[in-house]
Amino acid sequence: MTMIDIEDKPSSLWRDAWRRLKRNKLAVAGLAIIAALVIVSVFGPWLSPYDFLSQNLDLRNQPPSSQHWLGTDDLGRDVMSRLIYGARTAFMVAVGVTIIAVLIGVILGAIAGFYGGWFDRFVMWFTDITMSVPQLLLVVVINASLKQPISLWMEARYMETLNPIYRNTQIVDFVLVFGAMALITWPPYARLVRAQVLSVRQRPYVTAARALGLTNRLILTRYVLPNAMGPLIVAVSAGLGTAMVLESAFSFLGVGVTPPTPSWGNMISDGLRVWTNYPHLLAAPAAVLAVVTVAFNFLGDGLNDALNPKGQK
Amino acid sequence: MFAHILRRLIVWVPSVLLVMLGVYALAFYGAGDPIKLIFLRAPGDVAYDPVKIEAIRAEAGLDRPFLVQFFSYIWNLMQGNFGNSLTSGRSVWAMVSAAAPVSAALGLMTIVVTALVAVPLGMIAGMRQNSRLDYFILGTAVALWAIPAYVAGPLLMVLLLMILPDGAVPYGWGGIFSVKILLPLIVLSFQPIALILRQTRAAVIEVLSEDYVRTARAKGVPEHMVALRHILRPVLTPVVTQLGLIMITIVNGAIFVELVFGLPGLGRLTVQALINNDYPVILAVTLIGSFLVMASNLLVDLLYPLLDPRAADVKGS
Amino acid sequence: MTLLDIKGLTIDIARDTGPARVVDGIDLAVMEGESLGIVGESGCGKSLTMLSLVGLLPNRIRATGGQALFGGRDLLKLSAKELRKVRGSEIGFIFQDPMTSLNPVIRIGDQIAEALIYQKGLTRAQAKDRAVELLALVGIPAPEERANAWPHELSGGMRQRVMIAMGLAGNPKLLIADEPTTALDVTIQAQIVDLVRELKDRLKMSVVWITHDLALIAGLADRIAVLYAGTVVEDAPVDAIFDRPTHPYTRALLGSLPTLAGAAMERLPSIAGTPPEPGRRPPGCPFAPRCAFALPSCREAVPKLQSVPGNARHKVACPVMLEANV
Repeated sequence: MTMIDIEDKPSSLWRDAWRRLKRNKLAVAGLAIIAALVIVSVFGPWLSPYDFLSQNLDLRNQPPSSQHWLGTDDLGRDVMSRLIYGARTAFMVAVGVTIIAVLIGVILGAIAGFYGGWFDRFVMWFTDITMSVPQLLLVVVINASLKQPISLWMEARYMETLNPIYRNTQIVDFVLVFGAMALITWPPYARLVRAQVLSVRQRPYVTAARALGLTNRLILTRYVLPNAMGPLIVAVSAGLGTAMVLESAFSFLGVGVTPPTPSWGNMISDGLRVWTNYPHLLAAPAAVLAVVTVAFNFLGDGLNDALNPKGQK
Repeated sequence: MFAHILRRLIVWVPSVLLVMLGVYALAFYGAGDPIKLIFLRAPGDVAYDPVKIEAIRAEAGLDRPFLVQFFSYIWNLMQGNFGNSLTSGRSVWAMVSAAAPVSAALGLMTIVVTALVAVPLGMIAGMRQNSRLDYFILGTAVALWAIPAYVAGPLLMVLLLMILPDGAVPYGWGGIFSVKILLPLIVLSFQPIALILRQTRAAVIEVLSEDYVRTARAKGVPEHMVALRHILRPVLTPVVTQLGLIMITIVNGAIFVELVFGLPGLGRLTVQALINNDYPVILAVTLIGSFLVMASNLLVDLLYPLLDPRAADVKGS
Repeated sequence: MTLLDIKGLTIDIARDTGPARVVDGIDLAVMEGESLGIVGESGCGKSLTMLSLVGLLPNRIRATGGQALFGGRDLLKLSAKELRKVRGSEIGFIFQDPMTSLNPVIRIGDQIAEALIYQKGLTRAQAKDRAVELLALVGIPAPEERANAWPHELSGGMRQRVMIAMGLAGNPKLLIADEPTTALDVTIQAQIVDLVRELKDRLKMSVVWITHDLALIAGLADRIAVLYAGTVVEDAPVDAIFDRPTHPYTRALLGSLPTLAGAAMERLPSIAGTPPEPGRRPPGCPFAPRCAFALPSCREAVPKLQSVPGNARHKVACPVMLEANV
């Protein structure tokens, strides 16, 4: 009987939400921009007119032209191609970080919600503390402290195995960036799942089901997560946007992905050095990042209105 | 009231200590041997004389157990001793106190600007919910929120560069009464303004549906007094609780704004320390930043009973 | 003397699909010194009718037709500024839930004083003194101290007394009480009803008491108007309503009152069906679909209020019952 309940409600609920979302023009525009971003990220290598690494020292700092739509940078690399590969980086980091953060959040939030007591209090305390440390500073610390040991370990593994994968600095970057960012972005998910667990546990049919021997894991997958899906989707869409901004912020500061891997953040930071002479090198990545983050925000707000029709914005 | 303050402090102090412990542990185990770090930068082969290194290590007390070193670090902190910079050898305390006034001035002005701009605009948007004006204000706020400081700053500069003659674009620090502060101030205020504006708007919409607003109108209170007394006053309570979040956006934003506009504040100090892997400085600025946010949260906690009489009552009982 | 005369009032909700009518041509008058009870189920438009008089209708709900004469003016045609002067000083309001109707972050003395400052132009100190007097008037013990209390520090009944003090602050000629006792305990309800009756006589005001509880206002009202789906279906002196209820809806309402005599409480009769949704009102008499006496003719024309033979003050909108009675 309860099964029918769940299966029946969500489908119409999702359809209603989709209908409400479609009415919100800003959210639809945001969705379109994000869809374009995903396509560009996935098909980047086929879409970009040039290799992002290929330098042409005869054509340095070119303004936009018919060959190079957005001009070239100080090494004569095509800006548009680098933007497209930067989208790939941003997208990979955002998705990777969000997956890890959601996993941490769901696990901690669920355990805290189910077991309560001191563990719950500890997790919530820890959540509060994590949220009160400025994220950038925390990542700066994590980066400054962990980059060296990880690099040394990788080098040692390379010496042992001679496997070239251990010499790929990109891996270190991504592990560090992913790890550090996931470590600071999980708290909202944990809070959300915990609140959902607490409210679901009090429902009579769940109490009844528990009496019949329903395990916590089943309650989590069958009741909590389906119910938490709406708010979780809203949080994830906001989280993806935040992760993307953070990635470019770290790259901007030089603690994210290291050049030559293109990232919007390090393109902006490069552009900042020469902006008086070549403003397009700064304007192009900055504008792209601004548009994408605005898109995520519009979509997030739209999803929030569509999935929580009662809640005020 | 006193018991309330005490209770909050009992929770607060361990939180601060935990943050310090976490950050310090990362430094202790991650950053590598501080002595080696110093000698790696020194010229010649001193770095590879193990006997000499061990002697210095013992002298600096760096061979003691982790927790002993941690608490001695805290002890020194409380006496204003943050250790010395690895790059310049200068006292970190001196570096921080030289940079802090710039950041503090910028940060405080940002809070003032935010309050003056965001609260009235949020009120207007909320009271005219779903009007064109509301959409305009809200749309601008979303855009301001979404554009990070290191994007907004450079873009504004490019824009000014196109309008103003060469060399007239303000850059650097000239105190809070100089024109140069305008651009960093505007850029740094973007996110806090967007945050508070949306909070205020949401709170206004909620308060507008409250019965007591209708009661006030039914009493014949003029509309502007309804807005000030019956709407703004309750709206401020949830808005003020956002102080901690504002502090986070300001601390995060200051790093970029100071870098982009060449201000000699804590943010730029952070970036320089980061580039040089100057661990004592990174540790110090991280602790200061976290401390500011946590202190703001504590302040809100302590002030809350004054803002909401219902909360005061609960605490009293 | 007629104090308030509502004629053909219509109120619409603006919906995405178009306007939906919630009040459909109400005629209602209040005499000076009279107390009128307005009875009906929730959603019948009784509160909206009264709120429309002083321009306090919620967003998207508007009075679209008719007039409301009060002191020689049509309230529906006044500007916002003129309406503000009517509120509080000519028409006072008491709302349903004193918990949510008082501002939680303003001391109650200040909330009462506020009305006086803006209506009567009193100074702060004068207003404060007057607020204390008003608190004493509504029977709040230790009024000087209570004036400095926060709303949450008072009990529900005390808060409702504060509401009444606020409603009376401007010496209004008409006090509108919108279900002021619904949120209170039964014993407190009676106290509030007694208080309002006493104050009405003392201050020589007219009172409109909105409620869904007929029994509650039996001792308070001089006259009762029964509303159904945005129309007045019966309007009569209180005795006539209880002795000779004529409209089938009024009868059903009375039938669902528990009485001591009906000791065999096997089941309270309830009215089958639900009132029509705004905008989906059936043609003809709105009560016809639920009415046990409905004839085919009831579903054709909207019945008008007509006097019961022999009692000009007893009006009913039901031709079927009128004919049957004759």
